Amino acid sequence: MTVSGNHHTSGNNKEAFLNTIASKLGRERKREVQLPDIQSLLPDSYGSLTQDDLIDILKEQCFFIHTQVIESKPEILQRTLDDLIEANGGGSVMTSGDPRFAAYGLTFPGSFVWEEAAGREQNIMRAESANTAVIFADYALAESGTIVVESRPDQGRSLHFLPAHYIAVIEKERIVLRSTQAAAALNRRVQAGEPLGSSINLISGPSNSADIEMKLVVGVHGPLSATYVLI
Amino acid sequence: MSLQTDKRDFSERTTDGLGDSFMRNAVGSAQDSLKTRRLSAATALGDWEQWRTAGQQIRQHTLQNLDYYLEQLAGNIEKKGGHIYFAATKEEASSYIRDVIVQKQAKKIVKSKSMVTEEIELNHVLIEAGCELIETDLGEYILQMDDWDPPSHIVAPALHKDRRQIQRVFTEKLDYTDDESPEKLARFARKVLRQKFLEAEVGITGCNFAVANLGAINLVTNEGNGDLTAAIPKTHIAVMGMERIVPTLAEMEVLDNLLCRSAVGQKLTSYITVMGPSAAGDTDGPEEFHLVVVDNGRSDILGSEFNEALQCIRCGACLNVCPVYRHIGGHAYGSIYPGPIGAVITPLLGGYDDYKELPFASSLCAACTDVCPVRIPLHEQLILHRQNIVKENRTGSMERFQMKAAGRLLSSPALFGKTLRFAHPASRLMSRHGRIVRGPELIHGWIGARDLSQPVKQQDSFRAWLDKRKGESGQ
Ligand code: SF4
Repeated sequence: MTVSGNHHTSGNNKEAFLNTIASKLGRERKREVQLPDIQSLLPDSYGSLTQDDLIDILKEQCFFIHTQVIESKPEILQRTLDDLIEANGGGSVMTSGDPRFAAYGLTFPGSFVWEEAAGREQNIMRAESANTAVIFADYALAESGTIVVESRPDQGRSLHFLPAHYIAVIEKERIVLRSTQAAAALNRRVQAGEPLGSSINLISGPSNSADIEMKLVVGVHGPLSATYVLI
Repeated sequence: MSLQTDKRDFSERTTDGLGDSFMRNAVGSAQDSLKTRRLSAATALGDWEQWRTAGQQIRQHTLQNLDYYLEQLAGNIEKKGGHIYFAATKEEASSYIRDVIVQKQAKKIVKSKSMVTEEIELNHVLIEAGCELIETDLGEYILQMDDWDPPSHIVAPALHKDRRQIQRVFTEKLDYTDDESPEKLARFARKVLRQKFLEAEVGITGCNFAVANLGAINLVTNEGNGDLTAAIPKTHIAVMGMERIVPTLAEMEVLDNLLCRSAVGQKLTSYITVMGPSAAGDTDGPEEFHLVVVDNGRSDILGSEFNEALQCIRCGACLNVCPVYRHIGGHAYGSIYPGPIGAVITPLLGGYDDYKELPFASSLCAACTDVCPVRIPLHEQLILHRQNIVKENRTGSMERFQMKAAGRLLSSPALFGKTLRFAHPASRLMSRHGRIVRGPELIHGWIGARDLSQPVKQQDSFRAWLDKRKGESGQ
């Protein structure tokens, strides 16, 4: 997708720009760089933790980020989600097309699924009119109460931001301690040449702002509430 | 807005700041709460000092190899079908963006908070080109609705406004009819802005860090407006200062932790996103992605004695501990970059002609240096600026004369001792209730904003006490 016209087809000024940088640094252009080992500098302040410890840390943190945590089981997941959707005031539901919905036998009659076939306008319109979004987390980061999700044809970027309420299902084995582990795993994929989704989202609870007199308001542009369901 | 937000004299701006009691209270309590929150989020990381060292090393490494990483970034963005443009000046940057928008025949633009777009005067250029441009960060939106009132804090731009002022602006400009509660005001803005996101043809965002080996940008926000700006319009233009880049996601993670904890005392903010050109099969996200890398004076800082200022990750922590910022407020700096970091980088980007007072707006207490998550020696850089300003003879002739006299006095112990003896009686006419209330220019400038005690009587001075003690101990 190129844009025809003046600036950007006649070059992007890269060479002159980078040559200026090199000359200001008093050397030739760098063609190779050795990355310093930063990770070894960082202390391990938690020691060894069990999966149960991680769940406790996650729950405690979610209290601070205004996020409800519900413990459920695969067998009763459908009921838990139905109850939560009802508690959000019912209305329309939009889910991603994640195969885990089918694997856990989840169905939401009358709901919309984010799908490539629906195209841009339809998907965005459905997400905007949805009262609740339900998605599965790729990772959950206990320390900050964060879920990590990747955009895909069956899970658009705006699905996480447009519906009024947001429910993320977290499989317990996907909980790791910090963003460090998630970033390292994603980085390994980049280095192996594996493509990542065009948008990687780290989401910690509902949207919020303290722009008016430093008073925290939950629910600004994005979802008004967030719930994590642990299975 | 440009780098310069107020063309009046520094003394006029500070007088305004000192006289604005709402703003001073708001800044004071924001500083106090952010300081405490920062401390607890920093402590939770374990050894914060080691994290700071890691942050510093990442920033220094990247700056030393900036050309390499920018080239890698450019290659990876282009590989994914995105466009990257390198702008040496602010004019080049904003005219490139305007051209893209004109070619798209776009009129409706949503924008998320970005300092560098202020620096390149983008809003002005786009509005002149006939576009409807909406700032979507709640704080910035409030300022825009209030006839583009300048921001006063890097992270909380509308800190100087109270809820009643905001209610008044919304009522006048947007027919808002509800009360002044922050929840209702925010909910109202959410509704208005939601429509703007859905209608917009182009979304413009800043970039906290570009990730070189991935060809993507990283946005750190709490409101979700940045993500909506990038996800919904068909064209996404991101703008970054050329130094805002990291090698990989691993270094980004370290800096995001330092940024979130230092800026707002959160372990991570609500939304941290790594995004770039859309991939095959995506149905939202940009159909066209542009990244504009801006120099605008930064390369002159690179490799200079102020090189470390480029390590800044714009967390605002140095503002939150600065006693001078606390008293004069953000507008007094006359720059979109206020506080200690503003006092360092504004003169570098905008020159001493307009900003020679800023490096003197510091108590040199070094609280900013101690708090900076990437260890920029801010107070030392302020001293370097002062030395340059004096060397270039930019201080007033009266001030130079007074400083020279003070220098002579302070470097001669005998003369200093003699002067001290007469200081109390000589200051009697200028003092009231133990405080100096009148005096020549240098003293006047000081007492305009702070207390200055009258020198003590000869017999009460430390020197007299020491001499007496020496006598008693037979030394
Ligand atoms: S100078 Fe340091 S403390 Fe101040 S905004 Fe930049 S990174 Fe934060």
